[in-house]
Amino acid sequence: MQQVYSTPKSIKKDSTFTFCAGCDHGLAIKLVAEVLDELNLRENTIAVASSGCSVFLYDFLDVDCIESPHGRACAVATGIKRAHRALNEEKFVFTYQGDGDFASIGLSESLHSALRGENISVICINNTNYGMTGGQMGPTTVLGQHTTTSPNGRNVKYHGYPIKTAEQIALCDGTCFSARVALCDIKNIINAKEQIKKCFEYQKQNLGFSFVEILSSCPTNWKLSPSDSHKKIKEELSEIYPLKVFKDIKEND
Amino acid sequence: MSFIEIDNNKCKSCYLCIDVCPFKLIKKSETIGKTGQNIVEFKDENSKCSACKMCAMMCPDIAITKVWKT
Repeated sequence: MQQVYSTPKSIKKDSTFTFCAGCDHGLAIKLVAEVLDELNLRENTIAVASSGCSVFLYDFLDVDCIESPHGRACAVATGIKRAHRALNEEKFVFTYQGDGDFASIGLSESLHSALRGENISVICINNTNYGMTGGQMGPTTVLGQHTTTSPNGRNVKYHGYPIKTAEQIALCDGTCFSARVALCDIKNIINAKEQIKKCFEYQKQNLGFSFVEILSSCPTNWKLSPSDSHKKIKEELSEIYPLKVFKDIKEND
Repeated sequence: MSFIEIDNNKCKSCYLCIDVCPFKLIKKSETIGKTGQNIVEFKDENSKCSACKMCAMMCPDIAITKVWKT
């Protein structure tokens, strides 16, 4: 008898995720942990958590974590990376943020980290609202989506257009890798893991700012069942937010 | 005979594993879990499980802790 699957070692033993049932945050953290195991980075990693549902990262991942002010995860990660480099220590630094954190409150920090070509990795969870505070309209809320602060649906004249984070980051010259993935079915989960692995490997090779946006479900605030929200990602959201690699500087090699 | 191990304390009854199993071996059980809903159980009477581990990959709460293949 052979064991073909086990809990990743980078997940703390006996920790239970505190997310809602069916939330893709758990899947994303699991994939990050699996990649950290495969690249053997666990002992050398500093994770930067931010505010939002992603705040609980330090409860689940068995790596060194630091908590940053709302939206400032990229700035904190920059400081950690540069301070350790000044001490001739090479640490692996990644941030784990939500879309409201990365693309709204911390847009300036995030964009300028990408423009500086800061050698950090960023995982951004895009669930099209502010999940933790009760589903308010976020920067990525799609047109027509009903949230608690846009009860008649998001409309262009009043609220403007949603931001497409992965495309914007790909436009920055300091970015080495920018991709958007989803976690709605097995094929996409396998692809997501590959892209996260690539994102982390590029930081190890000192290539610059690497970014993965994960299209994630929020069953509680979308008021759908977990399987229906995966269906929504597959059929509706992936049309608006195309799933592909937008920038890969090693692609032409 | 391949099988999976489910941690009853971690299952939150999202039922994503039920949709993803190609042989429909995972079903709702009579047991009430921590969220107040029926948790899932694994029943494989005809030894159909092929240890494809798709349920374990899909589970957002790592409630499917181990997959064994023979």
